[in-house]
Amino acid sequence: MAVPLIGRIGVLILASTAFYAYVGQLVPQNEVQPPQETVLRTDLTTAEMVTTGRQIMDAKGLCFTCHTIGRSGALRFPDLAGIAGRVSERAPGVTDIEYFAQSLYEPDSFIVPGFNPGMPAINRPPIGLTDQEILCVIAYLQSLGGTPTVTMQTSHKYYTPAGAAPVAPGEAPANGAAPGQKAAPVAPAAAAPAKSAQLKPQAAHLGGAFTS
Amino acid sequence: MNGTMNRKLALVLGPVTGVLMFAGVVLIATFLTNREYAQPYRAPAAVVDPTPRVEGVAAEAADAEAKAKATPYAEAEYRQFPVIGSRVAVWAVSQLHLLFAAFVLAVPLFAIIIEIIGYKTGDLRYDRLAHEFTKLLSVSFSLTATFGAFLTFLLIALYPKFTNYLMSVFSPTFLPYVLLFFAEAAFLYTYYYGWGKFHPLVHIGLGIGLNLVGTGIMLIANSWLTFMTSPAGVSDTGALISLYDAVYNFTWMPINIHRIIANVAFGGSVAAAYAAFKFLQAETDEERAHYDWMGYIGNFVAILAFLPLPFAGYWLAKEIYAFSQTLGLTMMGGAFSWLFIIQAVLIGNLFLAANYYLWLGMGRVEGRQPLQKFIKYLLIGIALCFAIWATPRSILATVSEIRAMGGSTHPMLGFLGVMSAKNTAVNILILTTFMSFLLYRRTGKIATVAWAKTGHAAQLTIFAAAAFIVIFLGIYGYFVEATVRIGLSVPQVSSVLIAMVSITIIDVFLFRRAKMTGDVRWGKIPPISQYVLIFIAVTFTWLMGLMGYVRSGLRQHWHVYGVIRDTSPDAFTPTLGFATQVVSVTVLIFFVLIGFVFWITSLHDRPDFVPSAKTVTHPGADVVLGGALGHQPGIARASHFEGRTQ
Repeated sequence: MAVPLIGRIGVLILASTAFYAYVGQLVPQNEVQPPQETVLRTDLTTAEMVTTGRQIMDAKGLCFTCHTIGRSGALRFPDLAGIAGRVSERAPGVTDIEYFAQSLYEPDSFIVPGFNPGMPAINRPPIGLTDQEILCVIAYLQSLGGTPTVTMQTSHKYYTPAGAAPVAPGEAPANGAAPGQKAAPVAPAAAAPAKSAQLKPQAAHLGGAFTS
Repeated sequence: MNGTMNRKLALVLGPVTGVLMFAGVVLIATFLTNREYAQPYRAPAAVVDPTPRVEGVAAEAADAEAKAKATPYAEAEYRQFPVIGSRVAVWAVSQLHLLFAAFVLAVPLFAIIIEIIGYKTGDLRYDRLAHEFTKLLSVSFSLTATFGAFLTFLLIALYPKFTNYLMSVFSPTFLPYVLLFFAEAAFLYTYYYGWGKFHPLVHIGLGIGLNLVGTGIMLIANSWLTFMTSPAGVSDTGALISLYDAVYNFTWMPINIHRIIANVAFGGSVAAAYAAFKFLQAETDEERAHYDWMGYIGNFVAILAFLPLPFAGYWLAKEIYAFSQTLGLTMMGGAFSWLFIIQAVLIGNLFLAANYYLWLGMGRVEGRQPLQKFIKYLLIGIALCFAIWATPRSILATVSEIRAMGGSTHPMLGFLGVMSAKNTAVNILILTTFMSFLLYRRTGKIATVAWAKTGHAAQLTIFAAAAFIVIFLGIYGYFVEATVRIGLSVPQVSSVLIAMVSITIIDVFLFRRAKMTGDVRWGKIPPISQYVLIFIAVTFTWLMGLMGYVRSGLRQHWHVYGVIRDTSPDAFTPTLGFATQVVSVTVLIFFVLIGFVFWITSLHDRPDFVPSAKTVTHPGADVVLGGALGHQPGIARASHFEGRTQ
């Protein structure tokens, strides 16, 4: 029995769309959840901030969409491995905290030679990290080739915690966090234990949001 | 006598059915109303509620009213669409609206060109062809408007706060939009119904007006949606600073260009599918010849527009990167990167199918075709490029396989997953398809000009040079910085475009007054070619659905990227598998509806209703038959209705 024309065309259309839907099932299936708002404790230790900073960079900060750690070759954006150790050669006379803060709040003010501008201001939408989250990111960046010194009370050019004295131009950040100052040395990031439990109860959802 | 009785019966049947249906509705309503107010059965031994039902119901209603009055007004942020959710509802409806809109905008673009060719050459076949394309417009226009209204209502109902925001920013554009819409309706219907009724130049003027107005509508609508992806002219909190900047945002012009080209490609493919459908239905050689030609022209338009489409896509991607590197990298290296592998499968299929159709078309020409021996080489080239384009950078593998590879990137195939390889593959694909078209074009012809040999050599040299430049720059891209590598796509694209234009110009002069070795027999093509045309239309439609998703989904959890955040339950980005299912269902609905459009359009070609052979002359028949036959003298009147005569 001959299949009517309309049936043949119908089967062709159905089979084609089904095939493409099938191809769609073959690729990785990731459901991307929007980042959750976080509340960070004000008494996080520097080691805890390093771990939290890494989590923020993985998830809400979207840092690793562009940056890499430990990769070489033809890169689109600077690799971050050992970044803390390169601050003094890139910006002589500037503390690592001020350098990182400037890179995050005003990324176009200094472009690493060989790269194009392209990084968004990280404290503004669409990424919109809070000042406290940025402090944690700075802590993690310090741990890459350096010694993290930043605390939740650290002030810098772009942020002054409540009750802290603002930083004057050229002055080292408050809390005695300038490079070389031995106030609060902590273990490197790799040695820091998982600290998700140290977040406040309101921030318990961090666990899900920061899984990448 | 029987005939008269049957006609009376047919006359009575409609009203009687209507009365019966009305009576049924009343009966059901009465039954339900009675049930609502009937006293429920109560067991004699049970405790009877002392409150009479009527008072109880009234008290409940009063409570509800008092509660409603006490609640302060609060603007709803979101509402939930039943079963499928708000996002999928808006997604599907907007996709259907855009597909029909694309068709309605595209068909006049190539219909007017064909009409102008017909006018200039005096060849009536072109005029008929342009008219035939235009027949598809009228019903499609109504469906576009219907889905547009449906989409507006859905947005207002389901996303009221966000819609209100967009309206506050773009309200000055609404009046021009509505006026243009009226103008489009006026132009479209005058253009269609006025075919052959005006001087050809007046009619062509109407067609040009239709295209200008349609393009204007698209430009306005594009400003709304591109603003959502790359907002400009507003403050961080979303307050409007400059409407001009909001309209002329980063991605507005690239989307305008990309859409015009894509619409033509899509419209051409759907029109070709219509021709294929009519070809397969055709009963005479003449019909087959006409629809074969129509399908060829439709497909030619589709492929011609399709070839520069990747370049328009590059420009759009470049502007997305320029607006936000994060957005660009989310698209190409983040959540949506695998979508481009699906896109590669679709585009690879399009190239394969388009080439296959051209190769089948060589059989239209009488006699042996020596150029057919090149097909196998073209096929190898296309298959290779297709494979390279569809190779992902990261391979899906088990943990042990990833360990064995030393990472998720395959040590050898990984090199094919980067843009250098993919740019090269797509440019060679375009060149190969262009070569297929050239072979088809010169099938059955022998160049007779004195410089024929030189002309062939020049064409071959240009083609080889373009291929060399594309491949050389593709390889060179592996050894340079990203900033340099991105720039290499420009000379790659330019060399391909220059090659296509220059080879075509040479070809036109080369084959003037060419010797024909056989006639082109339109209609003499295997039926499978027509199914290929339908497959191309489905693939184009699916591709439009997929790319529409990435354009919109790219914003992820933002209604307006970086300005208005999506806080609805649908704020997450779904899996690609889910997205492809939604696209597939939407495409199926589109083809059901376009089938309806084809059917309505084909009614135009059917002969008018003719009564059966058993006729009587009856003065009252005028009233029954209406305009179709009623006032034409000498036509026998119907004695009874027996359906269509075809």
